[in-house]
Amino acid sequence: MSDDSDPREELRARIRPDEPVPGDALVALRGGPDTRSLISSHARRMNRLFVLDGSPVWGISVFVALDPTGPASAESILRRRLLSYELVYLPTVGGLRAAGFDLLPTFGRPHFTVLMSGLELAPALFDALGELQENPYPVREGGPPA
Amino acid sequence: MRIDIAADLNTEDETGFVWTFLDEATDPSMIRSGEVVVAGSELTPAVCEVVDLVEKPVGTIVHLRILPGSVEQYRNLVHRIGA
Repeated sequence: MSDDSDPREELRARIRPDEPVPGDALVALRGGPDTRSLISSHARRMNRLFVLDGSPVWGISVFVALDPTGPASAESILRRRLLSYELVYLPTVGGLRAAGFDLLPTFGRPHFTVLMSGLELAPALFDALGELQENPYPVREGGPPA
Repeated sequence: MRIDIAADLNTEDETGFVWTFLDEATDPSMIRSGEVVVAGSELTPAVCEVVDLVEKPVGTIVHLRILPGSVEQYRNLVHRIGA
């Protein structure tokens, strides 16, 4: 456990309290490519800034396609939040859970943090992201819609 | 390609902007509000605007806004106008 002198911030305070648990069939979107090393670097960055319930936390960010239309839809996430990525990972929430990774609804909707119990799980999380797929709305075609 | 500052461009905080640590910049002195930089990783670079810098006990956080267009498009623009 972390003590009161831990300068890191509490991630629990950034969780959206009213967000329903996302269904297994929903898709989590993340721009890539990643590597096992990059996953570790990103998780280490989160660990440097945050704790979860006072304990060390590691994780990476994804956006979950929570709605069929609107800002939390897959199309909007690909066009706007992932505008700089030509390639993306599209694992299902259920696939990430099956691999042992829980998701927390953190910060603004539809952002989630995929939790890792330690950096040694970075290779497993990298594998759970699956194959890279083409972003159908690449920035080279004009970027986000007006 | 050299990255000005390492970041995960997927991540965001309560501001809605990408965040990373200032000490992950190649040259922290050039990371100033309003500056245009290349952020991300060598595999996933993107042109970003530095929104602000926020002092935290664990280090200085840099917020970044991802700008439309690829690094290649910006390079082509500079080449085209002869700058």
